[in-house]
Amino acid sequence: MAQADRTKSTVKMLFWLLVSGGLVFYMVHTYRSGQMIHWYYYTASVDGYAVNARAFIDATPERPARLAIVPAAVIDGLQAVPVQAGGRLPRGANGVIAMRELEAGRRVALDSAANTISVMVPSEIKEQKGFKYKDTYKHKGIRTNPWAGLWNVAIVLGLGLSLGLLAEGITDFCGLKIEKLDHVIGH
Amino acid sequence: MFEFAIAGVTCPVFLLVLVGLTVGMVGGFIGVGGGYMVTPALIVFGFPGYMASGIDMTHIAGKGLVSTVRHRQLGNIDWTLALTMIAGTMLGVELGVRLLVYFKDLGISGVVLLMTSVVLMFSLFLYTQIETRRAHKRIAELEREGKGALREVQTSNLPRLFQHIPLAPIIRCRTARVIISMWVIVLVGMVTGILAGFLGVGGGFIRVPALVYVVGASTHVAVGTDLVEIVVSGAYGALRHSIEGNVDMMAVLFMVLGALLGAQVGSIATAYVRGPAIRYILSYSLILATLGAALRLIYVMTGQQIEWLSLAAVVLTLGEMIFLCLFISSLVWFAVRRRRGKWVPEWVVSLVM
Repeated sequence: MAQADRTKSTVKMLFWLLVSGGLVFYMVHTYRSGQMIHWYYYTASVDGYAVNARAFIDATPERPARLAIVPAAVIDGLQAVPVQAGGRLPRGANGVIAMRELEAGRRVALDSAANTISVMVPSEIKEQKGFKYKDTYKHKGIRTNPWAGLWNVAIVLGLGLSLGLLAEGITDFCGLKIEKLDHVIGH
Repeated sequence: MFEFAIAGVTCPVFLLVLVGLTVGMVGGFIGVGGGYMVTPALIVFGFPGYMASGIDMTHIAGKGLVSTVRHRQLGNIDWTLALTMIAGTMLGVELGVRLLVYFKDLGISGVVLLMTSVVLMFSLFLYTQIETRRAHKRIAELEREGKGALREVQTSNLPRLFQHIPLAPIIRCRTARVIISMWVIVLVGMVTGILAGFLGVGGGFIRVPALVYVVGASTHVAVGTDLVEIVVSGAYGALRHSIEGNVDMMAVLFMVLGALLGAQVGSIATAYVRGPAIRYILSYSLILATLGAALRLIYVMTGQQIEWLSLAAVVLTLGEMIFLCLFISSLVWFAVRRRRGKWVPEWVVSLVM
């Protein structure tokens, strides 16, 4: 009987270790490869230019960053790809500089002759819940894949369940007796 | 350091694992999601406010499930109670959000929100403290009389009042050992849901006392059952935030991995303590959160001029997490010592099994 319990707990532990390990590997792999990010930064919600905001985080009015306007499928550094509202964002994009921002000309300016966009103020300080944080073009003008929301929930619930059952398997394997509690209430 | 490409933040992984671990431990022990602790911590680590809320809510769904699995094994979940309450909770959350929008339109949401938090949490703290002290004394009396006190002792008369409401259908919650009108449970879910939706929190710190003092469940069952509610509301919140683009799944992963250990310790620790010990920790958690909210309220009411108030609120919240973890660990340590027949302080005897 004891041997059968031991075998059962070993199988349980190994099974859930494989499942949770697989989920963790899948999450890390898709994140590292950029697949998750590509799914996340899915389509543009405004007309404008898709950019990788990280590339020009140090730009200032004195030393503006110049982004070359190129119709590319992948953004590489200081590049801006024209997109229309609802259009698929290129790989590597994490924000959109809206046309109205270019027309306002306060933080960015369009140089049609040189086919470039000059970014002068990529970030600003904002108050949010009493904390200061940088607000850049990142996350602006984008729409996420609605299925990504369901995917996130499914993954996090799958991960929670597999890790919970893995922990249960480990305690069973180690022979730690976890018994049901009695819930009689005294007064 | 890890570069979180979606959140656009570079942050040490161990900090996220540590937050997951501590909040997992506290949440597994008192049955709360811990949103009021995690969001300020993430903002301190550099995550934008909207991302902090999204990551927090998504991690709560995963962490809640880790704790739920263990509480199921401990027999702390009353599924009848949990499933009956979910309907009321969902309706309540929706009403709470609408109430918030109403106050927002009036332009007074921030102050009303913080004032409601402070008054509600302080009242809950007071009632829980007074009742738990009475229960603590009663256990000590029973111990002295050699009657071997039970795991749970409650001195509140409120549950008897609510259990006698003769409104059909009357349902039997076997694990909680409660026979009560279904409408009372639905109403508890709805009222706590309204408060949760209005205050923008998971609502565990309201629901656990409500399950104990209104429904009459034991504290252990209240904790386990509430975690089921937290998984459901966390999953719904995660879906909403993910669609809005407020979630970095890699940050969620690190926090859930931290919670794996923390939630186990917190959940298993409930087996070492009596109900009043959990209620004590819950009430301390409430008063510390109240202080944090009061500091933020003063900060808002003074026109956000006194910067140190905001910082003090964060420091208090982070300090609270560490304090509660140490408190829980010390209770388990004393329980183990007592089981081995070693000396433990007198005040601990009636709190541990």
